[in-house]
Formats: sequence, structure tokens, C-alpha cells
Amino acid sequence: MTIDDDDLVDQIRQALKVVIDPELGHNIVDLGFIYDVSVDDGAAHITMTATTRGCPAASFLKEGVANSACLVPGVESVDVTMTFEPPWQPSMISPGVRSSLGFAEVN
Amino acid sequence: MIGTSLCRWAISYFAVAIAWLLLAEVLIVAGFGFPNHDIGGPDTLVIVHLISIGWLSTVLCGALFQFVPVLAARSLYAERWTLPALALLTLGLTVLLAGFLGLGGHISGPPWLLPVGAGLLIAGFTLVVANLGMTLWSARPLPGPARFVAGGLACICVTAAFGGMFSLVLSGTGVGAQWPDLLVSGVPIHAIAGLGGWLTFTAMGVSYRLLAMFMLAPDGDVRLGRLAWLAGIIALAIGLVGGVLALWRMTGLNLALLLAAAAALLSLAAYGRDVLGLYRTRKRRALELNTRMSFVALASLVAAAILGAAFVATGSFPSHVGALVFLVAFGWLTGLVLANLYKIVPFLTWLETYGPVMGRVPTPRVQDLVAERRALKWFVLFFAGSWAATLMLLIEAPLGFRVAVAVVMVATLGLSEEFIRARRLADVAEPLRLPTGAAAPHLLISRN
Repeated sequence: MTIDDDDLVDQIRQALKVVIDPELGHNIVDLGFIYDVSVDDGAAHITMTATTRGCPAASFLKEGVANSACLVPGVESVDVTMTFEPPWQPSMISPGVRSSLGFAEVN
Repeated sequence: MIGTSLCRWAISYFAVAIAWLLLAEVLIVAGFGFPNHDIGGPDTLVIVHLISIGWLSTVLCGALFQFVPVLAARSLYAERWTLPALALLTLGLTVLLAGFLGLGGHISGPPWLLPVGAGLLIAGFTLVVANLGMTLWSARPLPGPARFVAGGLACICVTAAFGGMFSLVLSGTGVGAQWPDLLVSGVPIHAIAGLGGWLTFTAMGVSYRLLAMFMLAPDGDVRLGRLAWLAGIIALAIGLVGGVLALWRMTGLNLALLLAAAAALLSLAAYGRDVLGLYRTRKRRALELNTRMSFVALASLVAAAILGAAFVATGSFPSHVGALVFLVAFGWLTGLVLANLYKIVPFLTWLETYGPVMGRVPTPRVQDLVAERRALKWFVLFFAGSWAATLMLLIEAPLGFRVAVAVVMVATLGLSEEFIRARRLADVAEPLRLPTGAAAPHLLISRN
């Protein structure tokens, strides 16, 4: 990965913030759903999760991630992998969003 | 698998169910059935089946078609069976009610209406049980909440089988004449299997997962719900198997029912402990209206369990059974269902409308589809009305009961309007309401 690729990763992460978890009402980047983003010669690889494996929102979230990453200039293709290992935990939420949601202290 | 799809007809099930509920409430307010008429009479049977089949079973079937795939992380076995099942349940109930009205002398109908209605209902429930059962079968070993649903599905089979036999007895057929005592002794088993097994046990199982999801409470411990499930299954087994054996031997039914009640109380106590545990360990401190109202419904179940035990201890159970059943059917089950519909309807509407455009344009949150402060007053009216109606039955004030149910009916209408507003996206502010590429949902059918 080059410095340009690093910039592209940042831009993709920023672009992914248009995708929200409908139930929690915050973007999936701050909620900690995005496990990894990498770029290789314009090909973006994104590894993500969702709160519940069978939730009907999960497939829409995956499509939404692919859609938003595709819109980033310089991205030629997008490959999204949905994983439930490790399972998502509330501790993965960014501190700012956690407090705005009125969360209890995460163990 | 990742993500299940939307059930096309779930919203239709909800709409049909609410229409049956409103009809039942109108009839009660008009003074039809218990307490103005005999608790076991045809008029009361109209009300009981409007609520238990038309409202509660229909709404539960629709919710399960959407939620069992989430529990099992498998697609629904046969989406194409869901509409025929709804048609059979609706037609079967209509014919059954006509049979009861004929029995009560309100209309002049042929005697075969009851068995034909029951047959259509059994066919509808068979489609439902087969569809959900095959979905669960493919997901073995089942997670905790799904086991409750499996127990509930077994119970609706028992309920429907007894209902079918009752229809033969009540319609005066030659087959039914062979079981002259069935109605007297079989009704408790029919009611326990339906209200306790199918409706309450299933609702308990589903609520484990829903409460954990909505409160972001850890529910990964495999022991969670195990005691409640085990005690519940034992209660149902004693009540149903023991009850049938007692019917066959013509003795011991009361003992079987008493032992079943003791196991059921243990199950409810374990369930209460589990739910409190989820509440204490939740990460989300500020709870949404649907979760808060689910807890209010749960308080009705606790009250029903305490009242039921007190009535048995004081020997006054038979004279108070109507009030107790009303509290379970309205305060607990109807309250829980309405509270969860307040989340499920906007959630399904959100997925249908905004899911396909996610990532391309900014989208609203599910909470933007509802107005909690406006809906709160309807929930307050609903629970206050339900508890007041229970009290009126306990103090034998029929007119007060009808007035209280009128309050419940107004609350039901208010909440129905909230569901319609969510489907219409009426509370979503512009410009997020219908972004480019999004299509407004139909009121009664989902696109999937």
C-alpha cells in the first residue's frame, strides 16, 4: 500500500459515514462495524460486521458499503466481506458516539 | 448466511390482525359476550376467538415469519406459503365466527359451519407450523429463543386439534357425540395450550432476543433462558399430556393442572429474573418507547401470575378466571404486541424504503419515522384501560368494564394511526423523506 492508497483508505472511511445503522441511528464507521479497509491498485477490500447475523438490515448495510465506496474517486472496484468473527460488541463504538447514545460504561 | 429478506406479507398480517382486534373491542363495548353473557356461551366464544385467533395468532404469525429467520439465521422455508396461510386463517375464522353466531341464534346457519371453519383454521395453522418448523429444523441446534418458538409451535398443534374436536361436538355431529364430556374437561387444556403455550411461551422466547437487541444487553450466555424454557416445557407437558391422560381415565385433571401451574410459575419467575438481568446489564441506558412499554406489559404478566396464585390459594379461581384471562390477553399479550409493532412496523418500512438507497444518499434513522411523545399517550390510555377493565371484572361491574374497554379501543385506534403514519413516512422531515432512488412503501404489502 502506497501513501496514495493510505489517502484513499481515509477517503473511503469518510465516504462510508453516509451508511447508518438504522436502529442505532449512527454511521457504521463510528459504531465500529468496519473492521478493515485496504486498497490495492484501486481495488478496495472492506471487512465489516453487523449487530445480528440474520438481521434483514445486514445485507442492505453490505450493499450500502459497496455503493458508497464505489463513489470515491480513484476506487475502481470494491470487495466487501461480511464477517461475524469477532462478533460486534458495544465496546467497539467510538467514545463520542457512545456517550451521545447514553451508553453505560462498557466493561 | 448474511441477512434475511423482508417477508412480503408480514405487514398484511399485522393489518388484518388489528382489524380483528378493533372488531372485538367494538363488540365488547356494545355489551356482546362476557360479562353480560355466559363465559362459555357462543357470544363469548365469538369474542375469545376474535382476540386469540384473529388478533393475537395472526399478528404473531406475521411477526414470526419475519423474526424466526433472524433467530435461525436462515431464510424462511417457503415465503410463497405465507399469503395462502393468511387467507385460510382469515376465511376459517370468519366461518367459525358465523358458526358461533348461528349457535347463539343471531343468524340461521347450517351446523357444518363450525367444523368447516375449524378445518380451514387447522389448514392455515398447518401451513404456518410447517413453514416455521422447517425453517427452525434447518438451523439445529437451535439457539435459546428459537426453542421457545418450537415449543409454541407444538402447542398450537394441540390447541388446533382440541378446537377441531370441539367444533364436532358443538355442531352436533355423530363423531362429536362420542365425546360428550370433552367440552367440560377439554377446555382448560385447549386454553392452556393456546394462551399459555402458543401465545405466551412464543412471546417469551421472542422477547429474549428482542429485548437484548434493543437494549444492547449481552445475551450470549447459553444458560440464559434455560430454566424458563425447561420449566415451561415441563408445565406444558404436564398440562397437556397429563391433562389428556386424565381426560382418558376420567380422573386427576385438577392435579395435573395444579402441577402444571406450579411449573409455569417457576418458568415465569425464571423468565422475570432473566429479563431483569438483561435490563441491569444493558449498555443502552436511554430506552426507546417500545422497550419501555414491553416492560409495562411484562408487569401485567407478573400481576396475572400473582393474582392467579392468590385466587387458587383462596379457592376463588373459577369466579375470577374471566378477569385473569382478560389481563393476560390485553395487559400482557396485546400490550407486548402493540409495543413491539411500534418498532417492527417502522423498522420494516425503513428497510423497504431506505435500504436499497443506502450508501448513495443520506438516510433518516428508524426513530425518525415515529413520534414517541405523541404515541406515549396512546400507550398510557391502553394500559390504564386494560387494568381498569380487569378491575371492573373483578368487582363485577359490567358497565365499568365496557367503558374501560372503550378507552382501550380509542388507544388501539390511536396506535393504528401511528402505524399508518410510519408506513406513510408522515413524520420524516424533508429532504430525507424520499431521497433520489427511494420509493414510497405500499400501506399493506412490502416490497422484498
